[in-house]
Amino acid sequence: MTVERSSADDHASRRWVEQLHADHPAHDDAVARLHDVLRRAAVHELRRRRAALEGPELDDVAQQCADDAMMSILKRIDDFQGLSRFTTWAYKFVIFEVSAKLARHAWRHHPPSTDDLTWDRLPDTLAPRPGEQAERREQLTELTRAIDEELTPRQRDVFVAIALNDASIDVLALQLQSNRNAIYKNLFDARRKLRASLAAAGYPLAGEEVRA
Amino acid sequence: MTDLEALDELLRAEEGDAGCDAGVPIMDQYVEIELRGEDPGERFPGTAIHLRVCPGCRADHAGVLEAARRFGDLDPG
Repeated sequence: MTVERSSADDHASRRWVEQLHADHPAHDDAVARLHDVLRRAAVHELRRRRAALEGPELDDVAQQCADDAMMSILKRIDDFQGLSRFTTWAYKFVIFEVSAKLARHAWRHHPPSTDDLTWDRLPDTLAPRPGEQAERREQLTELTRAIDEELTPRQRDVFVAIALNDASIDVLALQLQSNRNAIYKNLFDARRKLRASLAAAGYPLAGEEVRA
Repeated sequence: MTDLEALDELLRAEEGDAGCDAGVPIMDQYVEIELRGEDPGERFPGTAIHLRVCPGCRADHAGVLEAARRFGDLDPG
């Protein structure tokens, strides 16, 4: 694959990398300048995500995000390959810190409830309604059966919490002592199984075929 | 959205989804392609699919894109 370096092989990116090395005479100034923009980016991102934080607490979390992002950047400075502008690469670190810290804050204050994780029945928004077509009722009956019988306990917990009860994937990952990627894989596999079950029962969704 | 569309969305799982971890190392490149007005899905199709489905990664992607747009490039001085 051809690697595009046009936007990244730029003068500013090269200077950032040089100056952020500990032995460069401008190191401290470069760290301060980058930290300042990371902190402002964290404040903006916390507000953009409508975090339940404000005032000094928001500033404190933004400061922690910038501090931790800065540490990661300095530790990985030699990993920067110039495949993007340096600042875009750096923003990635602070945004990931915001994401992780917001999830931890939400989990501490509002962990998923037992109701969020317990499979009982389809939510009212999906439940068959009186007078609805028989096929729709049968489709939802099959979905309920498949959630009960086809999913592993872990897949069921994840599907119920995220897909049915709108839990945050990152908060659930903390609750289950896992990580976002593993939880997403559980969710993906659960959805594939449920789609396949519906198709096998004669109720295929888009892109699925009825399986005899 | 019809009931069938709502159910399809609830069970959305697209073939070729690269997952969360695949997007982490390339998120900055993905965003820069977008900032150039090009389609990052051509170079990173699995991540493009993933971002349509995963709310966590979609929020991170939107955050990096917003930061790059708002705070832009910066000279170290």
